[in-house]
Formats: sequence, C-alpha cells, structure tokens
Amino acid sequence: MKIFITGIGGISAAGRNITEHLESFQLMRRNAGTVSLFDTFLPYPVFEVKSPLINKQKNEMRTLSLAMSALKEALHDAGLQKDFSGIKTGVCLGTSVASQLNDIDFYRTYRNTGAADMAAVDRFLKGNLAEAVARSIKASGPSITVVNACSSGADAIGVALSWLRNGVCDIAIAGGADELNRVPLCGFGALGILSKFLCSPFDRDRSGLNLGEGAGILILETEEFSRLRGKKSVLRLAGYGAAADAYHLTAPRPDGSGLESALRKSLADANITPQDVCFVNAHGTATHDNDKVEGIMLEKIFGQQIKFLSTKGYTGHTLGAAGGLEAAFTATALREGWIPASAGFVQQDENIPVRPITEQTQINGSFAVSTSLAFGGNNASIVISKDQGNQPEP
Amino acid sequence: MPLLLFPKIKATNLNPEPFLRAYYMNIAGIGIISTRGRGIDSLDIALRQGWIAPSQTKSHSNDQNVFYPAYRVKKETINDITILKKIRRADKFSKMAVMAARDAVIDSGIQINHKESEVGIILATAFGPHVTTFRFLDDIIDYGDGSVSPTTFSHSVHNAAASYISSLLNIRGPTVTITQFASPIHQSLILAKAWLTEKRCKYVLIGCVDVCGNVMEYICNQKLRIANDGKIRPFNFSASPSSVPGEGSVFFMTTLENCQNKYCEIIPAYITNCDTIEKSDINIIEADGMAGDETSYQNTAPVDVFAGGYSPIFGSMKIISAFHCTVSALMLKKQIRYACPVQDNPYDLNLITKTESAEIKQICCIRKNCANKTDIIKLIR
Repeated sequence: MKIFITGIGGISAAGRNITEHLESFQLMRRNAGTVSLFDTFLPYPVFEVKSPLINKQKNEMRTLSLAMSALKEALHDAGLQKDFSGIKTGVCLGTSVASQLNDIDFYRTYRNTGAADMAAVDRFLKGNLAEAVARSIKASGPSITVVNACSSGADAIGVALSWLRNGVCDIAIAGGADELNRVPLCGFGALGILSKFLCSPFDRDRSGLNLGEGAGILILETEEFSRLRGKKSVLRLAGYGAAADAYHLTAPRPDGSGLESALRKSLADANITPQDVCFVNAHGTATHDNDKVEGIMLEKIFGQQIKFLSTKGYTGHTLGAAGGLEAAFTATALREGWIPASAGFVQQDENIPVRPITEQTQINGSFAVSTSLAFGGNNASIVISKDQGNQPEP
Repeated sequence: MPLLLFPKIKATNLNPEPFLRAYYMNIAGIGIISTRGRGIDSLDIALRQGWIAPSQTKSHSNDQNVFYPAYRVKKETINDITILKKIRRADKFSKMAVMAARDAVIDSGIQINHKESEVGIILATAFGPHVTTFRFLDDIIDYGDGSVSPTTFSHSVHNAAASYISSLLNIRGPTVTITQFASPIHQSLILAKAWLTEKRCKYVLIGCVDVCGNVMEYICNQKLRIANDGKIRPFNFSASPSSVPGEGSVFFMTTLENCQNKYCEIIPAYITNCDTIEKSDINIIEADGMAGDETSYQNTAPVDVFAGGYSPIFGSMKIISAFHCTVSALMLKKQIRYACPVQDNPYDLNLITKTESAEIKQICCIRKNCANKTDIIKLIR
C-alpha cells in the first residue's frame, strides 16, 4: 500500500515555515544565541524560535504552539481545512519536554508551602501533544504521543505508517514538536554534551550539541484517500525501521548494530537497496559518540560515496521535534532536488570514514533516508521517496 | 490554493471498527506489580481477599495533620536481588516496569534468546517518572543550573524504563514509549496489532506503568474528589465520583502465534454508543473516579450480564484498564468469577458478589475516558 506525503510544515530557529528554512539553508544562516526564554547562567548557545505567534507558556504549552504552527502550514500545503470530523484521522506526534510536568515555579511554590496554583497543572493536562492536536482538529482516530527522547518524531511517523497500512486510519498527522526548556538544558549540560560554540556535526573538533526547539509535521494519506479527494503528491513515506540498542541509558551501542538494524529494516520495508538511496539526512548531533557511530554505520551500509548531511547546524537539536523536522526537510529536499551544506563541518575526523557534504548539492534520485538516534538506545530510520511512476511496491 | 474538503469520502469511512476474530492477539504471559504485590499469583490472592484499606501518606503541606490515602507499591515488592545489580540506579517507575516486563516474558514460557529482534516493546504511561523529574527540579533549585545530577536527569526521561527493559532482557526490536491521558492501553494494543500484522515483530511486550508521589497526590487532592475512607465505588455512577490514587505496572506478552499456555485473546475497539456493546459474560466497569462524571456508565451493565469492577483493589489510575484486562485474563484462564471488592450497588446491577467457578467465554472491559470516548477492550477464551 502506498502512503503519500501530501503536506509538510516546519518551524525552528532556521525559519517559521519551510520556505524560510530553504532560505536559511541556502544562505547557511545559523540563528543561534543566548537563552532568552528563561534565566540561566549556563553559557551554551541555543537555537530559539523567534516568533510573536509562539507563546511563552501563558495559556498553553509552548510545544503545542510550535506544533500548531507547523500543522497549519502542513494542512495548507495539503489543501486541507482544520476540521476532520467524520474522517478516520490519526494523530501521532513525538515530544520530550511537553510530556513532563516540569514547571519549576509551580514546584518551587509547592515545595516551599505545600500548596501551589493549579494553572501549570491545567496547562500540562490540556497539553498532551497528540491529544491536544487531535482535539483541535476534531480527529476521531487513534492518537499517540511518542516519548522516545530524540527519536520521538521519527518514531511517531513510523507509528502513523503502521496505522495507515493497517487501515486504522485513512489520514494521519505525524511528526514532532519540542520547546527549549531549562530541564534538558541543565540535564544535557550535566551530561557534558553541550557545546559552548556553534555545533559542528561530524567535524573532527566537534564539542557537543546545541539545543533548539521547533516542530515538523507531515500529512500522510493512503493512496485511496488522497485519490478520492483529488490530491496528488509525488512524495511517499516508503519505509520505517526501528531497533533498540539494549545497551545503555545514554550512550549509543559502540558497534552501531542497533542503528544498522533500524536502517536495514527501513530499506527492506521500502523494498529498496542501499544503492537506491540518493542522500541521508543524518541525526548528526555533533556529540563525539553519536557522530562516530553514525558515520561508521553510514559508510558500512551505503559506502564511501554516500551524500549525507546534518541539519542540526541550522536548527540545533530539537529533541522530540528532530525526527519530524528532519523528515520534513528530507521530503522537501527530494521535492526541490537539492540538499544544503552540512553546517559546521570543516575537518574530517580520522575515526569517521565518511564526510558530510560541504556545499549545496543537487540530488538526482528517488529515495532518501532520515535517521534518528536517542537516549535509551532507540534507533529509527525513515525512507522517503519521490514517486516516479515505476517504483517498487513496499 | 483552494482548500479541499472530503465530499466523496465522508460517508464511507465511518464504519465502526469491527470485533473481527482476525483482529485478536493472544496474551501469552502477564507480569503485574500493584499495591497488593508482584506477579499473577499475588493478584489471585488479592482478588480472593477483597478490599484492603490503602496507606495514608502525610501531606507535604504546613498542616501536619493532613493525610492522603494512596494505593502505593511497597518497597519490598520491587526488591528483587536477582536483577537489582543491573537496575541499581533505576527509580521506582523503571523498577516496576522492568519487573513486570520480565515476569510477563517468563510467564509466557517463550524463549526470547536468539529472537532479540523479533520482540518489540510498547510502554504506555500517563505521567511518566514524575517523581524523578521533581527530584531533578530539586537539584536545580538547591544547587543551581550547573550542578545537577546527570543520573537523575537521564532517569527523568520517559523512555528510561523501556531502555532498562530492552537492556535487561536483551530485546532489540522496535521500542516505543507513549504518553496518553486517554486510553493508553487501548492505543498500545492497536499499535501492537499493527506491528504484529506487518511482521515488524513476532512478539510485543505491551505495558502500562504509572507511579504515585507526594506532588501527584497533592494534585489529585486538588483536582479530584478523594475518598477519605480509601474506598473507590465503581458502581455509584456519580457525577462527582471519589478516587484514591494508585500506582503499579502491568505487562502483557502478546503474539499472533498460537501458544499453548495462553490466557486469552484480546482486541481493542472504540465505540461511541454504549447500546452497541456486544453482549459478553461479564462487563468490567472501569469507573475509578479519574475521568470525572461517571453517570454514563449506567447503561454499560445490562441485568443479564454480570458486572465487575476492581479499581478498589489497585487505586485510581489513567492506566487502570491494563489492570482490569489482567483481572479479565485471569478469570478467563482460571474460569473463576472474582467477587467485586467493593459492592455498593445503588443501581441494583447484576454484580459479582462472590468468588466462584464459572464458565466464562468473553469479558468486555469498558472505560469512559477523559476525552468522552468509550474504550472497549474485549477478551475471549
């Protein structure tokens, strides 16, 4: 069964929509700065979304605002209105921060006095990402918020693919959203994986990641559903693979076998070989371990000539949003026929047998892969295709 | 670009999800941790014993005389020396998850060695490891942004528990942690069925976990009506029902394969109208005070069908359906009807009032969730 991508939306520090992202990619614009959303003395640069339309947790979770912004763009791209009454519509979104009741002001007051205002709790209870989005569009199908840390967005897209193929829904809204928050900033800082400089994925001198925020959303439809409503798209979600490292809470398995398994499963799911893939949008966080394991595995599976990049140099690491945003970028790149330079890369690491592309590059192929690796040892891989009429049926 | 509606599609896509036999999965093994102990045998004992009053926890408030009732899992329940070394840093949330998952695998009798990639994990929770999150916030408040514990942070992430499960049991298939306030087990079952059908895996460990803590007890006390006597009354069908927070974990080892020792078959389905509930031998009414107004449960218990409700054993939880599915699976396997632990019955329902042998072919677990939908999970022998 073919599953079409009929709408794409994205918001991050690199742009408030997909068009602005493409401009940032072309100009190699990196909109990082110091934290302005909350007070902290931590010196790490971050990629914040600067938009008056994204609120700062007054009435709703900021993550939900980001998701709704990307959703609006994706629905418009798909030619859909914001009312799915009567349609079997699934909503599957990944996040990390929005799943936690981590309002520090609420907690501090409770801790000091034994009582606290319930506004933060109400916001949290109304803010389960998939449930809130499903409510807002009157979706009547399944809804799941995936909390697989940094692979949440990619896994959410994979879940939606399974729903659609199994007839659980006819159309699905899938991707991820996450806000910049003090908890992960302090936590990643304590783990020693935040860089004090702009991140440089796959570079020899990489010194860690920069946190970001954003949302990336795809509208996915079965072939029959999109045909019945007269919507044509050349982009397909062709495959998904996931595998657990079964190794460590925070470090990737050094031999990369979990990532290898996820990648091979996604290619098999799409019924293609590694040679069919024209580029890989890598997870590429710019941490020492991630980039080493991922680089070695990309070479092992796709060979030395594989074109790959990390877009985290433009967006920062948007955690639960990353898989959604990067799937959106991958699909857009296939549609546009070019991929941007991997921002921040200068010198090849002798421990990594491949190097990302360093300038805007034309691509000419039908299949692309987006990878995600996460805390907890989750590995996910998505295959997106540009339909050219005679591709293999998954 | 013109906005397209759905003119040709709307009428044809509203078919209710059918209870087709082909949609069923087998429950091959179960692991459970609750306030009443660990393992399926402890559940059998608890169901025979009936209701026991919950513990009372002292409030964190300035008023030292405020106590909250809660069905907490005892420390000794999750002290397992055979695996403690491997999970020594894990918090209560992860420990409850790991032990129930491991028990489910063992209970199934399925050898997962050399089948690591054929097993998937779906772990559902409403609130995740929030006790650890608050401990991390303690670090930030007490020591500042730059002096927090990386270990506490890594355990505050929702998927830490699933990571422990995959590491300890060497499970290397797809692993997804989900957070839902409405229908967490229901959504997990739907996804598991899709994975099994697509052959992404041969077995799926489906689990639900939630933990209770001082802050959550305070929130429950503010947002819900707490039963001061500790008794949840599932059959009162009150517009403002009483609840008592609980915690625990349940895991099911599921497969499409036929297994000799299985408990039952299981399938989730949504319905929008209780009149369409298919007749079964027992309807489990999952009212526990967590989802607000319970008056609409009234038409879920026809007089010719036995009604059961076991939330008073476990406490109120968004994941209570997983516990009710466990009770149902046990009833189907043992062919025993367990007496309802609290038998207040103002609507004169056909309650199960005593524990006895019975021929039971199918049970429906019925929950009105917080999104005003009715979740049905059907289990058959």
